[in-house]
Amino acid sequence: MTITLAIDTSTSRTCVAVIKGGEILWSAHRDGATEHGPALPSLVQEGVKGLVIDEVVVGMGPGPFTGLRVGIAFAQSFALAREISVRGVCSLDAIAAQVSDKDFIVTVDARRKEVYWARYKDGIRVGEPAVSFPADVQAQGVIIHADLYPEMNALVALTGNISEPIYLRRPDAVATADRS
Amino acid sequence: MSEPLILGIETSCDETAVGIVRGRTLLANVIASSVEEHARFGGVVPEIASRAHLEAMQPTIKKALRDANVSLKDIDAIAVTAGPGLVGALLVGVGSAAGLAIGLDKPIYAVNHLAAHVSVDYLTHDQSLEPTIALLVSGGHSSLLQVNDITSSIVKLGQTIDDAAGEAFDKIARIMKLGFPGGPAIDAMAKEGSASAIDFPRGLTTSNDWQTRPYDFSFSGLKTAVARYLESTPDYVRADVAASFQESIVDVLMLKTIAACKASGIDSLVIAGGVAANSRLRAVAQARCEKAGIHLRIPSPALCTDNGAMVASLGALMASAGRTPSPVAFDAQSSLPVTTVSLT
Repeated sequence: MTITLAIDTSTSRTCVAVIKGGEILWSAHRDGATEHGPALPSLVQEGVKGLVIDEVVVGMGPGPFTGLRVGIAFAQSFALAREISVRGVCSLDAIAAQVSDKDFIVTVDARRKEVYWARYKDGIRVGEPAVSFPADVQAQGVIIHADLYPEMNALVALTGNISEPIYLRRPDAVATADRS
Repeated sequence: MSEPLILGIETSCDETAVGIVRGRTLLANVIASSVEEHARFGGVVPEIASRAHLEAMQPTIKKALRDANVSLKDIDAIAVTAGPGLVGALLVGVGSAAGLAIGLDKPIYAVNHLAAHVSVDYLTHDQSLEPTIALLVSGGHSSLLQVNDITSSIVKLGQTIDDAAGEAFDKIARIMKLGFPGGPAIDAMAKEGSASAIDFPRGLTTSNDWQTRPYDFSFSGLKTAVARYLESTPDYVRADVAASFQESIVDVLMLKTIAACKASGIDSLVIAGGVAANSRLRAVAQARCEKAGIHLRIPSPALCTDNGAMVASLGALMASAGRTPSPVAFDAQSSLPVTTVSLT
């Protein structure tokens, strides 16, 4: 049965799990919005000890960029080193999977007083993830879950393969020609 | 012991670079630059650089392995730039390097970008470097170093107190509308002009400066002087401005570097970093070192600018010297001091 290394660094929590056929063999996390760099390697090193990993599944966000990229860069290189596949999925979907409401919104801190969010109805995401001010998300009038982290078993169970990080924002920069 | 096969990753600024060396032999040096994406912003935009690093990382690693004709399984250790640099950019390299190291179950050397710049000279010269004076000049750094042991002991003699030398080139090129990066454009234009046409200031060279901070640099006053000159001289000759500005930088860099060699009694000098690709700096350094009896080494221009081979080179030197690898969990450090050659 396939043994999967699951990684998510889209929130302030660095999440790692090793999953075999829907069963969590090992999982751990470390909190800290700027801790992904040192946290991820030590967690993975512990989690994969003595195991033959068959594939990697990684959360592609949306989430604060710097931490998000640590997880993706690590996952891709680990997969390259082990000559196994790496698959990207939407991190918000792995958060939403643990909510049983019929119609709800999941949000993650996007800094700058904004949130990344997506709406789910009957367990299925409605539309693409977005970044907005909390007041605009509240205006939709459904239950909002703001304090959850990705559920790693759900992350691995997600289908599809997203190859690019879900950034949702352009880099901040003004061309010299456009400067006043 | 056979020579260690090291893969080095560099992402401190806008170059996604992977190099592979076996001991002192260069096997691959692949660089994907996002410089063109930054040109219209007149400088490196950290978030653009970080995105480009992630996009380019896997293709760059694979190309380096192909060029070197080795497999990842053959690699003895991974080396990566841990700092100094843009933290978001560094973390892409650090994350990738950690993924490789843990995936392969091989050691990792988290090394200093500035030390790596100096160590690249080992790939082109057999002779041992140390002790040597090193002038490190780039878009982000201008430092004068005394290298006692490239793997463990570097002393900082001085550094810029404001702009880096390469930054001054970029800023003047921007004012003169020569594009970004400014170094190559000014270097080319200066060849058509007179270096003695305009007497621009030499920063930190008063007798008091020579007493109190002989090996520090300052280029912001020069930048202001050039800007004022351009404003007050409507019919200025661009090539003369470029040549005279460049001469001021090159002159002061070499004055202080030669002084450091003489004061320390060390007759060996390495010049590294992107500005070491400047043709005038190379020529003046050659002439003045010959006169002063100093043995000068400057890596080829391709190895002067940011690259992965220099990181791999330092990793190989550390492995050969039996230095302890870095712990697997370390953080990128945007202002890692040059005295910290590797994270332990």
